[in-house]
Amino acid sequence: MKLILPPGVSHARFDQALAAFARVVGREWVLASDEDRETYLDLYSPGRDDSHAASAAVAPASVEQVQALLKIANEYRIPLWPISRGKNFGYGGAAPRLPGTVMLDMGRMNRILEVNDQLGYCILEPGVGFFDLWEHLKANKIALQLGIPGNGWGSVVGNALERGFSPAGDHSNNICGLEIVLPNGEVVRTGMGAMGDGKAWPLFKHGFGPSWDQMVVQGNLAIVTKLCLWMKPADEAAISIEIKLPKPSDLQWCVEALAPLRLQGAIEGLVRLTSFQASVTVPTLRSQWHQGTDSIPDDVIAQMMQRMNVGWWNGPLRLAGFSDVCEANLKRVLDRLAKFTKQEFPVTRMRGDAQPGPTTYPLQMVNWYGGRGGHIGYSPVMPADPKLVQEQFERTRRRYQQFGLDYSGTFYLDGRAATNVNLILYSKDDEDQKQRVRQLFQALIKDAREQGYGEYRTHLSYMDDVAASYDYNHNALLKLNERVKDALDPNGIIAPGRNGIWPKAYRAHRGVL
Amino acid sequence: MTRWLLALALALPVAGWADELTAQQSAGQKAFAHRCGMCHREGGTGTFVLARRLGAAQSLLEQRTDLKPEYIRYVVRWGLMNMPRLSRVEVPETDMTDLVAYLTRPRPAAAP
Repeated sequence: MKLILPPGVSHARFDQALAAFARVVGREWVLASDEDRETYLDLYSPGRDDSHAASAAVAPASVEQVQALLKIANEYRIPLWPISRGKNFGYGGAAPRLPGTVMLDMGRMNRILEVNDQLGYCILEPGVGFFDLWEHLKANKIALQLGIPGNGWGSVVGNALERGFSPAGDHSNNICGLEIVLPNGEVVRTGMGAMGDGKAWPLFKHGFGPSWDQMVVQGNLAIVTKLCLWMKPADEAAISIEIKLPKPSDLQWCVEALAPLRLQGAIEGLVRLTSFQASVTVPTLRSQWHQGTDSIPDDVIAQMMQRMNVGWWNGPLRLAGFSDVCEANLKRVLDRLAKFTKQEFPVTRMRGDAQPGPTTYPLQMVNWYGGRGGHIGYSPVMPADPKLVQEQFERTRRRYQQFGLDYSGTFYLDGRAATNVNLILYSKDDEDQKQRVRQLFQALIKDAREQGYGEYRTHLSYMDDVAASYDYNHNALLKLNERVKDALDPNGIIAPGRNGIWPKAYRAHRGVL
Repeated sequence: MTRWLLALALALPVAGWADELTAQQSAGQKAFAHRCGMCHREGGTGTFVLARRLGAAQSLLEQRTDLKPEYIRYVVRWGLMNMPRLSRVEVPETDMTDLVAYLTRPRPAAAP
């Protein structure tokens, strides 16, 4: 990738800044060749590569180096976009919002600082991957569980800071204390960590006074250098109930059956209901099923369901915890389901610690059209109400059909809210299709806004659109975020434009792609 | 059944040679496990997609004998099809050199 300079920075000043960075981290860890820039592009982007191309990357190895880099970035007005491991696939990967931004690659800070099985937490640096932590737990026979997202290649810290989730729930809910470096280089520990030797840093979330952890999550006020994360002790037992529902309309009664049990606590994790598509896109190619450029029609869907032995909506539903409690909750769930259907639901009992490890297996789905593929997700949050969920599904599927794309949807119910992850797959080499993907995405943002639903997380290219949809009182929340941003980061050097939050130095770039 | 026999035949010579890796090849094997193994060992995404494109016999990189150093370097940094590119932070040059040594190590001639 050819060099795109940061806005307003001359080539000479840019080179001076890189030389100054190199004096901090060593020349090896300033990555500024065409090849280096290539490795920070968003491989799966539905748009142009240069919309989100980094000018370079710099990789610190310590908190002190992060402080020194921030000082230089302020001096030379170089925007820095922190990434943990850069595996935020579907949302922008390792790329920045603003072209010319320098990536602050935290991948070298990859120590597992502590794992405590007595009190159930770990303290990690950003570069620790799910695989690393998983290996550490196995090697040291530590009986703690890890919530692992679909792409287990990424960073535990980065995932929590993006509000990633797994069937175990919203991982940002498990953050309990951060060490952050502010734009002026000052190091702050949040919560009980504000005491320096605060013994309850990873144990009690709030400390004294306002709580800052969630100010940093999905934001651009600081660089996270340590994160304390709660981990759950391994369960004694687990039961998997195979939910496999034959009709699209079965979604409504299933939500009606299960959401109350989730709210009452009989089901602990998220209830996940996934359309047939998820089971088909990973192991097979689209061309095996359908040649048309339209959305896959119902008769082909029926064949897919039969041959792949999946339902229109699929579980599994997992119950885990103490064995006797699981059995009691199993009876509750099956009794409840029996009020709605005569269908049988196969049950598998297993050890509670029989948890599958991190994998990248679901990433195969990008091969759906053959050749080079991409994916993005549109994921609005809405009430876990049966009728509203059914309507949301039908409205969304009609949009996929309108733009000739294959529907793939999942509803994650936490009892109160439902997060509706809509996966959009496409061929990177089909410009017409990518155009339709962009149109679908805009239509979904508009539809959701009309219903009063908003996205929980989005791709770089849609951050401004989604931020704009949170529009109460003329986007008062966005304005507040930007006032705080300007106060803490007057030069706007940390992640300008992240989630629609633009510092004043770069505000003219809002909406520009 | 044929596929399993083929897999077994391919696996055996490698297992037999595992003890004879040089220090650098051994470091490369570790780097492979750490940096590549999640996708490119048995059951991984890369293995699956390679099997789809090139056939099962070519799908496990550690068993391939046709990989050239320049090709390995290029694919790691520039990606291939749907494989993401890996930066010098993720795969530092020292690891790259070891990886190349491991994946291009001399192998015994296939059994007749």
